[in-house]
Amino acid sequence: MTVALLAVALHGGAQTPTTSERDTTEVDWEPAFVFDESELDMNEESDVSQDVIQINSGSNMYLSNISYTFSPMWFKFRALDQRYNDIYMNGVLVNSAETGSFAFSNSIGGLNDAYNRSGDFAAPFETNTFGLSAFAGSTNYNFRANNYAAGHKVTLSGTNRNYRARAIYSFGTGVSQKGWAFFGTVGYRWANEGFAEGTFYNSLSYFLTLQKIFNNRHSLSLSTWGTPTERGQQGISTDEAYWLANDYQYNPYWGYQNGKKRNSRVVKIFEPSALLTWDFQIRDNLKLTTSLYGKYGMDCRTRLQYNNSLNPKPDYWKAFPSYFYDVWGLTDGSNNDIAAWQDAYDYWTADKANRQIQWDKLYYANSQMNAVGGDAAYYMLARHSNQFALHLGSTLNWDINPTTKFQAGVQLASNTGQHYQTISDMMGAEKLHNVNNYAIGKYVGTDPRVQYDLNNPNANVGVGDRFGYDYNIVVQKATAWAQYSKDMGISHSFISAKIGGTQMWRDGKMRNGLFADNSYGKSGTARFLDGGFKIGTNLNFGKVHVLGFGVSYMMNAPNASGFGTGAFQAPEMNNNFIDGLKVEHMAAAEIGYAVNLNWLRANLSAYYMHGTRLNEWQNYYYDDVNSFTYVSMTGVEKDYYGVELGLRFKVTSAFSIDVLGSMADAKYMKNTEVSYLLSTEGTVTNDVLYNKGMREAATPLTVASIGLNYNIRGWWFTLKGNYYDRIYLSYSPSLRYQSTLIRSGAVDNDGSLIVPEQAKGNGGFMLDGSIGHQFRIANHPLSVNLMLTNILNNRKLVNRGWEQSRSSYTTDQTTGEKSTIRTYNFQKNPMKSYVQGFNFMLNLNYRF
Amino acid sequence: MKAKHIFLTIISVMMLTACMDKEWEAPDMTEPAYGNNSIQQDATKQVTIDQLKTAYANAISGGGFQRITDDQQLLCTVIGNDIGGNIYKQIIVQDSTGAMVVGINGTGLFPFISVGQQILISLKDLCIGGYGQQAQIGDEYNGSIGRMSTKKWEEHVRILPSHDMSQIDTLDFDIAMDKNRYAGHLVRLKDVMIGDADGTTTLAPEYKAGTTLTYNGSTNGYVHHSLNGESMNALVLRTSTYADFASLVIPTEPVTLYGIATRYNSTWQILIRAADDIKVNEK
Repeated sequence: MTVALLAVALHGGAQTPTTSERDTTEVDWEPAFVFDESELDMNEESDVSQDVIQINSGSNMYLSNISYTFSPMWFKFRALDQRYNDIYMNGVLVNSAETGSFAFSNSIGGLNDAYNRSGDFAAPFETNTFGLSAFAGSTNYNFRANNYAAGHKVTLSGTNRNYRARAIYSFGTGVSQKGWAFFGTVGYRWANEGFAEGTFYNSLSYFLTLQKIFNNRHSLSLSTWGTPTERGQQGISTDEAYWLANDYQYNPYWGYQNGKKRNSRVVKIFEPSALLTWDFQIRDNLKLTTSLYGKYGMDCRTRLQYNNSLNPKPDYWKAFPSYFYDVWGLTDGSNNDIAAWQDAYDYWTADKANRQIQWDKLYYANSQMNAVGGDAAYYMLARHSNQFALHLGSTLNWDINPTTKFQAGVQLASNTGQHYQTISDMMGAEKLHNVNNYAIGKYVGTDPRVQYDLNNPNANVGVGDRFGYDYNIVVQKATAWAQYSKDMGISHSFISAKIGGTQMWRDGKMRNGLFADNSYGKSGTARFLDGGFKIGTNLNFGKVHVLGFGVSYMMNAPNASGFGTGAFQAPEMNNNFIDGLKVEHMAAAEIGYAVNLNWLRANLSAYYMHGTRLNEWQNYYYDDVNSFTYVSMTGVEKDYYGVELGLRFKVTSAFSIDVLGSMADAKYMKNTEVSYLLSTEGTVTNDVLYNKGMREAATPLTVASIGLNYNIRGWWFTLKGNYYDRIYLSYSPSLRYQSTLIRSGAVDNDGSLIVPEQAKGNGGFMLDGSIGHQFRIANHPLSVNLMLTNILNNRKLVNRGWEQSRSSYTTDQTTGEKSTIRTYNFQKNPMKSYVQGFNFMLNLNYRF
Repeated sequence: MKAKHIFLTIISVMMLTACMDKEWEAPDMTEPAYGNNSIQQDATKQVTIDQLKTAYANAISGGGFQRITDDQQLLCTVIGNDIGGNIYKQIIVQDSTGAMVVGINGTGLFPFISVGQQILISLKDLCIGGYGQQAQIGDEYNGSIGRMSTKKWEEHVRILPSHDMSQIDTLDFDIAMDKNRYAGHLVRLKDVMIGDADGTTTLAPEYKAGTTLTYNGSTNGYVHHSLNGESMNALVLRTSTYADFASLVIPTEPVTLYGIATRYNSTWQILIRAADDIKVNEK
């Protein structure tokens, strides 16, 4: 990345806006339309779904290619989470104040014509016109209507990926004589069934922007967009399930109902957004840009729930053959039942319906519960996260003289996140009470502690009613920043800094029985002071070589919620903040080298980041205490380091070779304090988590790629061979609690604890290619592009997964000691997601 | 500006039509989606629980098992299941001649085989035997009677249309009644004092290290309490530490109990099914 900076600096100073890597105008070699959002869409299909960070930089060979080249394997730039990537729109920072991340597909997914040519990317140590670049870079989208070309454009696409067909129509007016400009795009993506069985995709997207340029000093721009989307998800499972189903894309989330495939995990999102921008050119060299961004995001995700009854997951561990027979030889075999193994095998393989959700059986069960006057045994829940956000960003750009620039700005954000759960389908049941069934047993059913809402005890809930939890999280942020850059001789140097404050609180809408005095109404307010600085310099030797250095130190307020992180102990239950919650610290240093010759462009960089006082948060069922747990980890220390290389070797004017590679590490540097809250009784236990040496998961830490590009008579051909390795699965904390290790007997002769190695997924090789050509029809350009991914149909590559948190032994409830070894071994059966096999996308693109 | 109009029209139409995950109709339930609907009820094949217990008396009393080879059917009603977490991996069935346990190697059975449900069990190829002389249908397990797989159970049971809890015969429990005849029966115990009632002790407390249980300890996850001061060799209330009502503080006044009167050899073991099987105010 540093290299990127360097390279950028080389090409006319760091302030030069870099084009999106998807912008094909800049590099003659870049085959048209190679990168497409459908690649991103691959990553949406799970409950751990994360958008990929979009890294683009037109002038850096590494940065400009990694996003699309490595997207099938969920490559994360420097193994960083999305919250380390900042997204701006017309200068206002739009990352969620609550989660710290920008949810790309919820917001502008499908709006390719709106964002494709409008992104200004800044690498981590690259100066820019909109703010301090984040550790995984920053992008500022220019959504002003005058940024879009006049004319019509129609795009039609066919693919066998998560959706089957896509149509986009875009229209721009250009700037009229009266100073008006309009651009709009509307698209639709659809699949009755996507790549994985039982999934579907139904997504509209629209974007409208209007601009009035009053004079050469003032301009106003108003944009609005949204992508109402409904899609069925793909779940992931264990190797045993894939083997039994004879399908690496086996999807346990669906089943037949009335002969039709019903998906239990349906995601509905709609995030209508608006952006108002005032550009004020105060003087020729002084410009003020002010943008107000608002959105009301609705995100609703369904799941099938069971009520003390048999887990309806078709791939529930007790349904597997290996539940009945110890195929690993890890037990004494006394519980082995080969006939039952065979029975289960026969059942799984006899009929597809057997290995999917059996909806009709669940409806039958509810009819039985109706007959005895009982609560629903099975029902559908919808988890809602509605986000109302208002952000204001104002930035002053002052070109003091041709070699000296100064920027300063403020960013304000306020976010109210409404988090609640509703019943989305009673599945024929007549009753369901808003009661914490997990706590029953610990407490009797009449105990007030089992109530989810003491203000409305024993409420009988139905479709649309709130159930289980209901709370708001409010986060407010304010940041001021400034940047000064100067060219002196061969150097281009900058210094930048920011300071800000964050405050957050929870506002409970239910009075949870386990926290009667501490769950309803407002929590206390947590306040954090954060900020940091960056310094960097690029040395330009001749016009060919650039050497760059950068260092930074940042303190970031913890995120209130988000993937793998959070500020609240158990936000579904109480108002408590995590004990020991602190501002996170991250130090980074980078060195880069870039070369730019006619025949060779190359970037090489090395980086090191050290994070301390990081906060992590998870929730899962913890066997040994027989309870669902909310798990907070504080004082986490992590190192991220690696080297990155990107080069393009132009062999002839028609033929070039691209090389990309990165060797990285991202790991925990010390064991961590952990505390977990039991949902069954509300108590908190502290422990030590032996996670030293665990790696960042869901990204290959080693990637390499060789690409061949050839063009002849207006035809473009590319062929890329990509190699991935060192893919770790998310480690399970509960397997590595000190108490768990002792209980399970993971102690060597010296009394040292034996920490299990982190599970890994298969790496390997994938071949991708594309062919493109531009025709002319009725004097207008028609571009045709065919992308082929995973041509060799290598289906054994794992792109993510996680260790199962459950124990492979039972715990004696009376003594707390390990009791018996389970026949089924959870640790031998991690959950894995395999890449899609051969897939393609055909794009037709006509401008008129 | 014509294009703008086209545009807005397209958006409006799409937003109205963009809905795919429809409301799902309940499946047709004329035939239960559980069990084996191909089992035909045949009066000529039917046996009663008493006939079965008589025919396999040796297997039941001797702690062994025997596989049923005759094509016989048992018409009975479910009187107990795992709804309260106290009965584990079994259901209890009853007809007018007696009751017995059906061992099924599965949990979460209650929504599929609820109390009051009339069922028909095809007995051929199942096993019968006794555990502590309690009659049980199931499958072989290490030379004695054990549980059958859920798959096997579903092949051997047919859910019948009748579901009526009011038709279940509840006996007033008498410690002297014939165990061979009545073990497994649904019973009522009126005005009974549960032992160890001190206002704090619960039905099945979890063992805490360093403490001693003052009553007949916790074994295999079950806790026993005396009833009406009877010898605990003769009669106990048996509660699992996993039961939903395990943490119920034992009432200090007489209660009426409903439950399954199972036997373990010469001891009656009363298993209540759910918290509302204990009626404090009912006299």
